Amino acid sequence: MASLDRNKWLLLASSVGVLVLLVVAAVRENVLLEWRQVQAEVRLDGQPVPVHLRQVVNQTLGVADRCVSCHVSMAPGEQNATGPAQRSHPNVVHDPADFGCTACHGGQGRATLKDDAHGTVHFWPEPMLPVRSTEAGCGTCHATAGIPRREVLDGWSATFERLDCRACHRMDGRGGTIRPDGGGMEGPDLTRVGLTGYRADWHDAHITRAAADTAAPWRTSWRSVSEADRADVERFLATRVAMPSLVSAKSTFFASGCLGCHKVSGVGGDDGPDLTRAGEKDPGRADFAAVAGDRTLDNWFDQHTRTPTSVVVGSQMPALRLTDREVDDLTLFTLSLRRRDVPGSYLPRDRMRVSRFAEREFASDGATVFGAFCAGCHGRDGLGLRAAGVATFPSVANPDFLAVAPDALLSETIRRGRPGRRMRAWSDDTGVRAADIAAIVAYLRTAAATPAPIDSKPARWVQGDPAEGGRLFERTCAGCHGPKGEGLDAPALNNPVLQAAATDTFFVETIARGRRGTGMVGFAESSPIHPTLTRADIESIVSFIRTWGVQP
Amino acid sequence: MNAGSDALRVFRENLRLAPGRIAAAAFRTGVPHTDRSRSTFVFGNVFLHLHSVRTHRWSLRWATTAGLGIATLAAFLITLVTGVLLMFYYKPYPDAAYLSMKDIHFVVPTGRFIRNIHRWAANAMVVTVILHMARTFYTAAYRAPREFNWLIGMALLAVTLGLSFTGYLLPWDQLAYWAITIGANIAQSPREVTDALGVTEVFDPGGLQRLLLLGSDTVGEEALVRFYLLHVMLLPLVAAALMAVHFWRIRKDGGLAKPADVDRRLPAADGTYPVFTEAPQKTYHLAAIVRGRTPAVGHGPEQTVPSMPHLFYAELAVFMLTVFACTALALVSDAPLKELANPLVPENPAKAPWYFLGLQELVAFSAFMGGIGIPAVVLVGLGLIPFLDREEAGTGEWCGGPGGWPLVRRSALIGLASAIAVEAFIIRFGWLREWFPTIPQLVITAVNPGTVLTAIYAGYSMWLVRRYNSTRAGALGLFTCFLGGFLVLTVVGTYFRGPNWQFFWSPADWPLH
Repeated sequence: MASLDRNKWLLLASSVGVLVLLVVAAVRENVLLEWRQVQAEVRLDGQPVPVHLRQVVNQTLGVADRCVSCHVSMAPGEQNATGPAQRSHPNVVHDPADFGCTACHGGQGRATLKDDAHGTVHFWPEPMLPVRSTEAGCGTCHATAGIPRREVLDGWSATFERLDCRACHRMDGRGGTIRPDGGGMEGPDLTRVGLTGYRADWHDAHITRAAADTAAPWRTSWRSVSEADRADVERFLATRVAMPSLVSAKSTFFASGCLGCHKVSGVGGDDGPDLTRAGEKDPGRADFAAVAGDRTLDNWFDQHTRTPTSVVVGSQMPALRLTDREVDDLTLFTLSLRRRDVPGSYLPRDRMRVSRFAEREFASDGATVFGAFCAGCHGRDGLGLRAAGVATFPSVANPDFLAVAPDALLSETIRRGRPGRRMRAWSDDTGVRAADIAAIVAYLRTAAATPAPIDSKPARWVQGDPAEGGRLFERTCAGCHGPKGEGLDAPALNNPVLQAAATDTFFVETIARGRRGTGMVGFAESSPIHPTLTRADIESIVSFIRTWGVQP
Repeated sequence: MNAGSDALRVFRENLRLAPGRIAAAAFRTGVPHTDRSRSTFVFGNVFLHLHSVRTHRWSLRWATTAGLGIATLAAFLITLVTGVLLMFYYKPYPDAAYLSMKDIHFVVPTGRFIRNIHRWAANAMVVTVILHMARTFYTAAYRAPREFNWLIGMALLAVTLGLSFTGYLLPWDQLAYWAITIGANIAQSPREVTDALGVTEVFDPGGLQRLLLLGSDTVGEEALVRFYLLHVMLLPLVAAALMAVHFWRIRKDGGLAKPADVDRRLPAADGTYPVFTEAPQKTYHLAAIVRGRTPAVGHGPEQTVPSMPHLFYAELAVFMLTVFACTALALVSDAPLKELANPLVPENPAKAPWYFLGLQELVAFSAFMGGIGIPAVVLVGLGLIPFLDREEAGTGEWCGGPGGWPLVRRSALIGLASAIAVEAFIIRFGWLREWFPTIPQLVITAVNPGTVLTAIYAGYSMWLVRRYNSTRAGALGLFTCFLGGFLVLTVVGTYFRGPNWQFFWSPADWPLH
């Protein structure tokens, strides 16, 4: 019967079809796997290795990394495997056989296909870190306490170079080479010396040894080290924790004032986004519309650091004038801001010190604190910043300013901020401590070589005529400072914190002497281009200015 | 020669005959050659006896059913088998579930392929169950005596959607998490009315529904365990039981619906001959208690053929075709798996499974109407159809009854056009909330695109009833309109809605963030 035949043919055709599909699937899913083909070409001591799925499992870290199915030479016990793309893992503290791969490198450990495993696919939020940014992976678990700002770290490093320590010591992959005149490789590798520590009497020991040893480096490179240089070297050694790029990136971060607007682990301002876990940002959710090049987080941070407003429309972040190396550093640092929930036994000491014992990642000296919090707006040298579209950030290192501003004015301004302006109050919740404020003030004084003014007068002593002062103010000052002292091009004078913290002497002397490098001229000096004010005039103006302030 | 060697000979002989005897014990009838042995083959088998022993030639035409019911059953069986395989590796606990999906995808041999088949078969089942219902409707097969089977079919539709929906959460990725969140919010939609009336404090059916669904305030481990239990045990059992009844009722209700003049329509064919030419097996005592028209008394040429092999080859062919389709799709298209579910990062847009996107389109205006009101009206309407349409004309014919194919064609046009018009209107001009921001929600609950569309369809259907003086004509029009509306809303919801449920011509135009 016709319909029976049709149905039989249909059954035959679809059954054969299903059979073919099943065979195709069986071959594709079991035989034609990428890692099987890779393993087929791997040799261990000249013998083929058994082809099977390899993985590193660490239950505590929640790691099941099948990366070693292709990267066989990184699998435990198979480090000597050779073959296409087989390379053994560099010797690091963390044995990949124990930690797995993804804990440091990111990527998708469970995946067994290249693109999936490297995380460069849709819907995998954590692609592998690019090789040049590998040290960002350290930031997943490790913190570093007491990193100074870039200039300081570079100074220490330069001392270390100048003393020619690398003649004998290898550090971060450089130095300690064999020399033609004999010797070299005399001293231990110092790459991890910040973790392992060293003899406290190293200097005396070197002197003793130098007297006895005749090897070439002792004669050509060693000489005794001054007390100051020794201090620099010792502080430099404390930062050598086997992640030189990341430490250097951190020091750049602490020199660029990013904490002025961004919080990292609860420290910093809050004008910008919290960066604590910025390195975990999912590139699949980032806007690459205005980013040229790869769709990687690395590239996104790079271009955003260079020109923030073109990458994020409406961004308030000024374009900081950075060198390429600084951009690379900041990118690496931002990528390192990642976290993984690890059990306490895996929490490294440095992270413990930072997260549980309130140590900070940046050093507490004035230069570093200023660099970390203030340099973004006031400039690295404190000379202020002019950027298109934002109000001028004042030069706080101006010697004319520092010569008349008492320390109390500086520290009060930092502590309480300038309400209504970008300058926020650096209260405890920003992580800036009272000691930090004192350190910043001391740093400014030292850097500008300008001691605090000596002022025997009380804070309020001016007894001028406010009415007369008002007339003078309108004629002389209102053009820049605004008729109500609200500040136009020049700073606002009616700001409550300024009114409370500034002494009358500060006002009088600033008006009389002016401030070089700004539009503020010295009105006590005679000049053809501005009116000359007498001391009485100035005091009247100050009395008038004081009518805006609340009495202390 | 002794007794011992004789016993050994018997033993060897028995061993030789064992395979044949096992087969004989299992099938009892031997190879069926005659109509009689074919009949005993069918009713002697627990699975086959759901069929009648002989099948009408009308039922075997491809155009009669297009095999949609069997395709649905096939899809169900495929999901059953692949689902059991997946259960060996799946761990129903948050995060662990996602990791087990990754393992299934990357490590379990052919795990990804089996998951793909499962996913495609599940989607195929939703499609075929809807098409099967449409076939039943358009051939007026719901009419007496098949009213109750129509109701069971509707229950099976609901169970199918439930199976698919509960399976949606199990991968525990972003797609799953937010789709179920949307689904749970739809379940909570009666709150829109209770809130507007201010009685949610004392009477909160929406909140209760959501709580029953999720077992908690948010989608979490309780919801996952609950969905898992429903997906792998409760709903499959219910579906299997309902299916057994559904198939059994086909036989009891006299086979598939046939036109009254089926004999005239079917050309005579070789191999048909009067039934019961051999000694009748059926006693008329038994026939007396079978409901409906009893077999072959006073009818013209006999049009039935033995189910074995005619029907079974047809069924097997459809089954294998379904397997082929699901396998082929599974080879070329992977089931989605997004990032690990993260309650802190909402998907935007968060979309329900595709078959609920039509509802989500309406939910955007009134959660209650989109999620509860209109679906309830549709379900009640569908359930009542066999009891309101008591006509006889057109049974067993495609688009049978007054109006016929031209009416269906016109209704399809009207259904699609009015849905597209309403969509175009709200996309271009917005709705009441945009014009009168302070308008009470109850007004929008009553007057929203969903209710407007329903009203248009209902009005058109009433007009059809008067015009053709036939309930069937109205039902044909209404059903077609709703199918058209469902199609338009689902397509718009699936392809043209982006972040914040705004209209976009293409996902390429979606803004990031």
